[in-house]
Amino acid sequence: MIFIIIIAGAILFFILFIVICVNTLIGKKNQVINIFGSMDAMLKKRYDLIPNLITSVQNYMKYESQLLKEITELRTKALSSNISDEEKVDINNKLTKSLGGIMVAVENYPDLKANQNFLQLQAALNEVEEQIAAARRAYNAAVTDYNNAIEMFPTNIFAGMMGLKRKNVFEISEAERQNINVKDLFNK
Amino acid sequence: MKTIEELKEFYNSDLMGDLKVLEEARTKIAKKLILINILCGIGLILPIILFFIIPLLGIILGIGIIVLWIFLAIKASKGYKSDFKSKIIHRIIKFIDKNLEYFPEDKITEVQYMASRLFPRTPDRYNGDDYVRGKIGETEIEFSEIHSEYKTESKNGTQWHTIFKGLFFIANFNKKFKSETMVLPDVAQKMFGNLIGNFLQGMNKFRGELIKMDDPEFEKLFVVYGKDQIEARYILTPSLMKRITEFQKKSKKSIYLSFINNKIYVAISYYKNLFEPKIFSTLINFDLIKEYYEDMSLAIGIVEELNLNTRIWG
Repeated sequence: MIFIIIIAGAILFFILFIVICVNTLIGKKNQVINIFGSMDAMLKKRYDLIPNLITSVQNYMKYESQLLKEITELRTKALSSNISDEEKVDINNKLTKSLGGIMVAVENYPDLKANQNFLQLQAALNEVEEQIAAARRAYNAAVTDYNNAIEMFPTNIFAGMMGLKRKNVFEISEAERQNINVKDLFNK
Repeated sequence: MKTIEELKEFYNSDLMGDLKVLEEARTKIAKKLILINILCGIGLILPIILFFIIPLLGIILGIGIIVLWIFLAIKASKGYKSDFKSKIIHRIIKFIDKNLEYFPEDKITEVQYMASRLFPRTPDRYNGDDYVRGKIGETEIEFSEIHSEYKTESKNGTQWHTIFKGLFFIANFNKKFKSETMVLPDVAQKMFGNLIGNFLQGMNKFRGELIKMDDPEFEKLFVVYGKDQIEARYILTPSLMKRITEFQKKSKKSIYLSFINNKIYVAISYYKNLFEPKIFSTLINFDLIKEYYEDMSLAIGIVEELNLNTRIWG
């Protein structure tokens, strides 16, 4: 009699163990998707601000027309529906860099700096950049958590069975890490 | 926010005059108190002797002398404490920012204290003083010293335990946070190391989800709870985390922060009173003032940090 109870207890324990592991993995996988979704929403806010920015500055900034064109192209690419997540991230990193370039160049246009419309836009863009940065960090934390669960014992046993693979964190490539060279901007 | 050098200059030039006057008063009071202590101490010998002859008379006389002792001591130091507060502390506050107002007897209300959700236990006793309010840039701030306690009844009687004692600071923001974020001193990670510590912290669902931050030094010292992973990182930027970490390492005080609705709450705990002027040690001590100033600097610095990033909190 006792023997049966022990066996039943062991089976129950085993089932519980499996359930907890599998659910933990699913939870972490979904957290990654969740945060990527939030980040996407913030990136979209940025896309929405760009046309306004372009029209505000293009009458002033005669020397940056190439840069402005780049930004418009990047935005169009980012909005197209058939790009992978990784491409999306790549395009957005480039956008961050180009937008930064515009903000630096603005220093040379005192009329533009005094323009109320532009100042509001600049504040809004700063705000969005901060939010995107926060989202990026949150995404990296979620991915690290998920990768840990996939690779550490005991959840790694189930990760293989569920077909879960390692994901990449956001890194900024070496080229983009370099500071923007203002002289280059003027030579465009 | 002014630098320590500016504070020192202010201390030496403006404040020193008043400090010297008060210091004279203090030495006079200290001497008076020592005299009172000696006289009343000797005076107690009589009731003690009487106690063995006529116990009741001894007790009454003893109590009488003790009451007289206390009365004389309070009378001697009366005015000294309020003088100190109105002259010295008032001027330090004005030095920090002319717009700040100082109310020595007021405190942050218990309602606001509870609204911070930093110390969920309802206090049985709630006290405070040295209330300051005003604006730093565009942000309204207020702070005071707070001492909250709870009691336990046992067969030995009532015992009082401190929940929080220290500086409690509130800043108003113009926009609302989407959810609550809390930064608390990290006990579990210190005791149990990272793996188990993190696990235990994760279990504490009462405070919301555990949010693991990306600054390892900050993570060792603090634990962050919140309902929104992104907003917590939006508030706790790498530079803000560094600022908080440096302050904790330097001051070795426990720091608690929460970001709820449209307010920021900062609680810095310590064991002594900030502004009670001592009677038996010198007033002319720059370190006392420097320490208070540094605590204020952290709280105001956090506000400035969140302002200076030209955030419009959209």
